[in-house]
Amino acid sequence: MTGRPGLGRVALVLGTGVILALLPGIFGTGIYSLRITTLMLVMIIYTVAFNIIFGHTKQLFLCLGALAGLSAYLSVILMRELKLVPAAAVAVGTLGAGALGALLSYVAARRGLGIIFVGIVTLVVSLIFQNLLLGLRRYTNGETGIVTQGLGFGLAGHTAAAYYVFLVLLVLALWVYQWLMAGRPGLAFGALSEDELTAELAGIDVTRYKVLAATVGSGLIGLAGALFADFNEFISPSIFSLAHVDIVVLIALLLGGMRTLLGPVIGAAAFTLIDELVRPFGQATVLAYGVLLIVLFLAFREGLVPFLRRLTRIPVP
Amino acid sequence: MIGVLLDGLVQGLQLALLGVGITLVYGLGGVLNLAHGQLAVVAGVTTALLIGAGFGRIPSAFLGLLGAGLAGVIIDRTLLLPAYRRRGEERLLLALILTLGLSFGVDGFLAYRYPSVALTLRLPVGAVVLAGVRVRTVSLAVAGLALLAFALLALFLKRTLLGKAVRSIIQNETGASLCGIDVGRTRTLIVGMSGLLAGLAGLSQGLFSNLGPEMGPEFTVLALIVAVVGGVRSLSGTVIAGLLLGLVNAVASFYVGTYLTWILLLLAALLTLLVRPEGLLAYWT
Repeated sequence: MTGRPGLGRVALVLGTGVILALLPGIFGTGIYSLRITTLMLVMIIYTVAFNIIFGHTKQLFLCLGALAGLSAYLSVILMRELKLVPAAAVAVGTLGAGALGALLSYVAARRGLGIIFVGIVTLVVSLIFQNLLLGLRRYTNGETGIVTQGLGFGLAGHTAAAYYVFLVLLVLALWVYQWLMAGRPGLAFGALSEDELTAELAGIDVTRYKVLAATVGSGLIGLAGALFADFNEFISPSIFSLAHVDIVVLIALLLGGMRTLLGPVIGAAAFTLIDELVRPFGQATVLAYGVLLIVLFLAFREGLVPFLRRLTRIPVP
Repeated sequence: MIGVLLDGLVQGLQLALLGVGITLVYGLGGVLNLAHGQLAVVAGVTTALLIGAGFGRIPSAFLGLLGAGLAGVIIDRTLLLPAYRRRGEERLLLALILTLGLSFGVDGFLAYRYPSVALTLRLPVGAVVLAGVRVRTVSLAVAGLALLAFALLALFLKRTLLGKAVRSIIQNETGASLCGIDVGRTRTLIVGMSGLLAGLAGLSQGLFSNLGPEMGPEFTVLALIVAVVGGVRSLSGTVIAGLLLGLVNAVASFYVGTYLTWILLLLAALLTLLVRPEGLLAYWT
């Protein structure tokens, strides 16, 4: 183990970046299509992070929206109330999300909570977060949300530039993923997701690696969330709700394939496409999400990437 | 103050109705049903639709209850079958995701198809004076229904052969099936019963104020909190937890407001999970 990703993997990460960089050229640089593709990038970043947390270390975090929202609200409030510079505010938001993820993961691992109870604990955490947003009206404006225009880097004003900012973040995320998987953490993740006790007996510090995965993943989600607040010019509790983040990311990850490099990218991209197709049906989209989740989990649990592997006999990464 | 406490107890009984369903299904099927609250809403919406179609209130409520029970049976016989083929944690995870998907499916369907259907049942007499305290008849009715349901449930579990079979499956699924108990059919019965209990909770919500199609997630979360604080395995624990949380809810809403109360209830669940996963009241039940 050299701890460095092979040349092929590096090329792959960069290649993915290049392909995605060409998208605005294909779909045009209209405000609408740029917005959709940028939202897709945010979703891919969330999914890559969730893949590290859930796919590799089996921690069912149902608080992705809360993590992104914590970072977004924290950075926006810091900029508005304390006049903090954007970079510092985003950094604090990211650290906050990472710290919350680390704390949840540490406590869960220490208490020996099973996968389901981690799910319930994090679900309760996201509900508490949502209620705090509604209750702390003085800072969060409650359900009305905060208009973030004029705060932050002003990503919203430069849609094309914003796309590439998120693209850089995504390539960075894939890079971190690759770097983790090629080294010791990747081995540890593989061992502990198969059998925690055996991994522990083999000398792997299970708690440490779980917390590592949760921290890196949550930090990534936080960073994307804070930048998203800037890009979107508006944040509200419903933007970071379970239905709008967690369920979507869960579907995207299942669709693309867990524990793969390209799965989150393909899954979230495919989901964006599906979402655009069902958008005209309004409220029925939630129905479609529900059905999709059930069908995917029952009939297509392996996901697209492993499916392609089987079909083409090419070891798709 | 006595009024607030009384309200709390009745709300607690309603919470317990919700929680007991989750506990029963978890204990017996090893499945955490995240679409439980949606069953309550199904009962309410069905009743409202039937009343709207010109049926009487009592037959409609009865059919609405049956609808929720039937929905439970259908979920058990179709959606959860793949989960039952697995054991332990695998089963829990699969069922958790499946019922999460179902809850979104039901919410989306109701919001899409019946966005403005709401159930409001009004009793003919508003309030009576009992021993010097003014009591809403609704509270009496809901408390009566809930206590009746619990009494029937207890009788069923303690006194009938089928109830014994249920308890034996809760103790040990493999052992019970070795003794010739049909685990699958008993499970279907219990999931149906949990649907009935959820439906009853939904209808009592309709009696108290009103029940809309968007209340599913709230019910599910309340049921989950109650079941978790009660220890998800013990029925009496769940009932006591329901009463306790109902009291906390009423007193806290009276003094500190709704959002803080919600956070308080959620924190209670969180702390229970982290500090005493076997349930806050595990020693006493």
